[in-house]
Amino acid sequence: MSEIILALPVVFPIVGGLAMLVHRPGEGIVRWNRSRALLTAGLVLLNSFLVAAILAGGVDGERRLVVFKLYSSLTVMFKLDRMGGLFAGMVAFLWPLATLYAFEYMEHEERRNTFFAFYLMTYGVTVGIALAGTLVTLYLFYEMLTFVTLPLVMFPLTTEAVRASRAYLYYSIGGAAFAFIGLVFVLGFSSIETSEFVAGGMLDLARAGQSRNTLLLVYVLAFFGFGVKAAVFPLYRWLPKAAVAPTPVTALLHAVAVVKSGAFAILRLTYFSFGISFLRGSWAQWVVMCATLVTILFGSTMAVKEVHWKRRLAYSTVSNLSYILFGATLMSPFGLAAGLSHMVAHAFMKISAFFCAGAVMHKSGKTYIYQLDGMGKKMPVTFGCLTAASLSLMGIPLFAGFISKWNLAQAAFECGGLMGEVGGGAGGVGRWLPYAGVAVILLSALLTGIYMMTVLVRAYFPKIGEIASEKKEENREGTDAHGADDKVTDPTWKMLVPLVVFTVVILVIGVNPAPLMECLMKIGGEVGV
Amino acid sequence: MSGWEILIPGFCGMGLHLKMDGFRMVYTAIAVVMWGVAGIFSREYMAHYKNKARYYIFFWATFLATVGVFLSADLYTTFIFFEIMSFTSYVWVAFDEKAESLRAAETYLAVAVIGGMVMLMGLFLLHDVLGTLDMDQIGPAARAVLAGKETFESGQAVHVAGGFSSAKVQLYVAGGLMLFGFGAKAGCFPLHIWLPKAHPVAPAPASALLSGILTKAGIFGVILVSCVMFGSDGAWGLLIAGLGLVTMFLGALLAVFSVNLKRTLACSSVSQIGFIMTGIGMSCLLAWAGEGNLLAVRGAFLHMVNHSLIKLVLFLCAGAVYMNLHQLDLNDVRGFGRGKPALCFCFLMGALGIGGIPLWNGYVSKTLLHESIVEYAHLLEEGALAGEAAGVSPALLPVLTDPSVWKAAEWVFLFTGGMTVAYMVKLFVALFVDRHPTRQAEFDEMSSHYMRPLSRAALVGAAAILPVLGMAPHLTMDRLADLGQGFFQGVGHAHAIHFFSFVNLKGGLISIGIGAVLYVAVIRQFLMKPRKEGGRDYADLWPVWLDLENLVYRPVLEKALPGICGAVFGVLEQYIISVPLKVFMALSALVCRSFDHMVDGLVVLARKTVCRQLPEPKTYLEGNWLAHVLGTFVDGWLLLWDGLTGKRTKGEPRGSAVSRFIDRERRLKHMGELVEQSFSFGLMLACIGLCVTLGYLLASFYHWM
Repeated sequence: MSEIILALPVVFPIVGGLAMLVHRPGEGIVRWNRSRALLTAGLVLLNSFLVAAILAGGVDGERRLVVFKLYSSLTVMFKLDRMGGLFAGMVAFLWPLATLYAFEYMEHEERRNTFFAFYLMTYGVTVGIALAGTLVTLYLFYEMLTFVTLPLVMFPLTTEAVRASRAYLYYSIGGAAFAFIGLVFVLGFSSIETSEFVAGGMLDLARAGQSRNTLLLVYVLAFFGFGVKAAVFPLYRWLPKAAVAPTPVTALLHAVAVVKSGAFAILRLTYFSFGISFLRGSWAQWVVMCATLVTILFGSTMAVKEVHWKRRLAYSTVSNLSYILFGATLMSPFGLAAGLSHMVAHAFMKISAFFCAGAVMHKSGKTYIYQLDGMGKKMPVTFGCLTAASLSLMGIPLFAGFISKWNLAQAAFECGGLMGEVGGGAGGVGRWLPYAGVAVILLSALLTGIYMMTVLVRAYFPKIGEIASEKKEENREGTDAHGADDKVTDPTWKMLVPLVVFTVVILVIGVNPAPLMECLMKIGGEVGV
Repeated sequence: MSGWEILIPGFCGMGLHLKMDGFRMVYTAIAVVMWGVAGIFSREYMAHYKNKARYYIFFWATFLATVGVFLSADLYTTFIFFEIMSFTSYVWVAFDEKAESLRAAETYLAVAVIGGMVMLMGLFLLHDVLGTLDMDQIGPAARAVLAGKETFESGQAVHVAGGFSSAKVQLYVAGGLMLFGFGAKAGCFPLHIWLPKAHPVAPAPASALLSGILTKAGIFGVILVSCVMFGSDGAWGLLIAGLGLVTMFLGALLAVFSVNLKRTLACSSVSQIGFIMTGIGMSCLLAWAGEGNLLAVRGAFLHMVNHSLIKLVLFLCAGAVYMNLHQLDLNDVRGFGRGKPALCFCFLMGALGIGGIPLWNGYVSKTLLHESIVEYAHLLEEGALAGEAAGVSPALLPVLTDPSVWKAAEWVFLFTGGMTVAYMVKLFVALFVDRHPTRQAEFDEMSSHYMRPLSRAALVGAAAILPVLGMAPHLTMDRLADLGQGFFQGVGHAHAIHFFSFVNLKGGLISIGIGAVLYVAVIRQFLMKPRKEGGRDYADLWPVWLDLENLVYRPVLEKALPGICGAVFGVLEQYIISVPLKVFMALSALVCRSFDHMVDGLVVLARKTVCRQLPEPKTYLEGNWLAHVLGTFVDGWLLLWDGLTGKRTKGEPRGSAVSRFIDRERRLKHMGELVEQSFSFGLMLACIGLCVTLGYLLASFYHWM
């Protein structure tokens, strides 16, 4: 029990959040004050330091902490390996910045205490997913994640928000049910009696081989089950709806924490439970790969058609999550590394894009893309960061997105080559599907170009005539929107610091990806050949 | 020519690799000259614009990126700088933020992004097939693949296993995709659409650079793919030469019809790019035929250099016109050049250069290109190719080996040269010979101050290079070609060409003749319409609908593609989500309902049988059940009795017997109580009596004892 520190960053925010819920400042009225803000910030920062301290202690997969056993083999256990460490580290880096951003974004909201309490709890649960050492633990925290984020989606308490949170709940619970089937089968066929993650898979291959098709079916079911949170087509519906939540939630949770938990769970399921030696070349691989490719195209297409800015970004997230999953479904070490590289890159660029959208909403109340004419000059820093994020999302060199797309394409070609050597796997599909995947990624990059650049072009190069007429109309109607519009400026440092930090990270990864890729290749190297 | 090399491993993932050799040095020098001159000119041109800072930032950023492209030593590096260049130069096109500019910029961006993505796909494939992107290694590796060898020269195995097709086909696909990407930037048909739109709206110095050197960055890539990778592949050479011929002809045709100064120059750029690509294609073909191809190589390279320098001068001249008049239509700017010798000199130098007039630089490179076509046709006539048809599919052979095809190509070349002369004459006459019907005096007044001395000096300096190059070709252009040709990896050795011998002059003279005829017979007759007040106007007779972008690309990209994608996903969603969901809901509703009804039925049945509710015991307000029963019974009987006897059938019904029974019962009960009370009183008395008797008996018994 000397590794009790592993449980701390999980338990600590949850307890802190609960305490904030129970002990509210003021008599009956939920008030927010400086000390409460400091408390929240302190808790988040402390927790991030805790995670950093844990990661500094080594990530070799030897550190484990059995919390308790539900039943003979249902062990709830924390374990620190490289992939979990990567996810935990990423979350720990993003959370304090997002909280800082949230302070400014939420400054006019009531019920801030509730908001930050759940925000804090989500932190703990996400770290729990990252550090989960068994599929049971992962499942447990996965379900918890649904419930702690539900109030955050519902936060605006409008009809729309309630509907969105209801959709979120139904989809998540339904998906978790399928994931549960996977859990049961993995336990049943496990070679180590428990569902502990083992790099390269833990199935008892002799027994599993006998009921191979059943297990593959179960894998597909579990993939789609966990895929609900990763918004795989056709289970994506909740994500664009959830864009009604406050921006810190959409940015951090629906671009990083929650959706990447889904992707992370799929990576765990594929590489650490079923194992690629069992899955590679099977029909199940092609089914899930097709699903990811369809999602990539679908997300991008819908993003082009969408005119609400945050929903457009949400559709973009749908598309980009499937890039990660496409890497996962290549079922090769390099595929895993490539998927993880996109996970990291996308985390930074999408949260940055969402924060820019949020900053504009916060300062000017504009939520639709056609309202953005000329904003680029009024909020130069914000739109500078958005430009970097957009170019990165498109996959332009010098930015992080290019690196991850390059890796994905390389991994896909490698997979196609390997599959070609063995005759293309089940049905010979492997001969061409990975190549088609690269084509899909590039087509999607083109669509990304369209849906991100249109925003930038509007913001920087407004069509002069149109704006003039709009202003005239506004003046005639006697609204003061025009007057307010002129006063729009960049937000204060609380919003700008996270944005600038993210932009710098995107550039650093883009220009010098070697250290990151080295680490990711190590993770890939663990899971097989 | 050896130079330095820079390697930055790990930059952007695969590392950055730059190097310097003859070709790169020439083009870096040209870039420096062009940016220098354009930069000097910009100071005056941009003086009245807002956002100068933005212009200059992107101006120099593009300079760095462009030099990066030309210095790159592997395709990965090329791609990185190429993309940066595309995006920074986008800002030039969108610079003045008018609706027209924004539309052109949109086109430019779309072509750049699509081209970039397609090129990236080509790079992926190429890297997959060859295992390298280094420019020194792709040549041998590609040849090994094309020859169907098992291993590269380095001994590394050719990556043939896997892949969607054979390595050779993959290589062709990769080459095609890269050609698309680079060709889009170069302005090759059918991706030239951005050029005639973007150039007129960009600031003039930017147009000069877009046309002069950014297109050359695309050509740089085309050279890489064609000369370095495919080198001596007949089919590829045919493709490039064919594209080149089509591009040069259509570009010139558009230029002849155009009535906009900068648009004409832009279309001319498209046409000249066609010349260069023809040269590249011919170099592949000549190499394929087993002949030395240096003629074509040197022609293509020198035409690149010439076109860069000429277009710099011509676009800056157009800029000088625009910054004074803010108009570009030939009818509006006509006569502006009268009485402005510096402008006239510069424009004339450019026009003579690009028209291929002997003693000017364009003539030299065009002659070389012309000779390369002639030489190829000549080879075919000699039948040198009869036995050599290696590596080309039989379907292409007739085209590749028929001399008449290449005779026709030669005539297309000469005719295009004629059109070049014609449209340049048209521009020159419009600017410097015609008079403006109303504003001529105003134009003449500007003669003293239409350009600042610094700009004028830069422009004249740039223009003076052109005749120098053209009049001493062996001193200047041959040396440039010697520097540059190594990059093309040409074969054979250069032999000195007598540029001014009659054989070589003939081609040029034919073109000039055609040009003169075209100008007099076509442009003056058909492309000008008489004006009411006398004189003639330039008429824009190009049909508006005949625009590749609006006719094909925009509908496909904006309507068809999203429409089809949307429809596909709509159907997918319909059948994957909605239908199964509805079926599932309907089925589960049916099952649940039926179970629900079954349970309901059971409950009802049970309630009626075994689980029937017990009747609740009646509670009466007064009286007990016996009175009620008896009363009801008596009521019934009385009713029956009345009915039977017919008594009192009418009138008010008699009161119910119940109340009488209740009354009776109450009395009975009362009496019972009385009886009970008296009886118990009596009983009590009797008990007392008994007790007394008992007491008495005990007492008397005691007494007796």
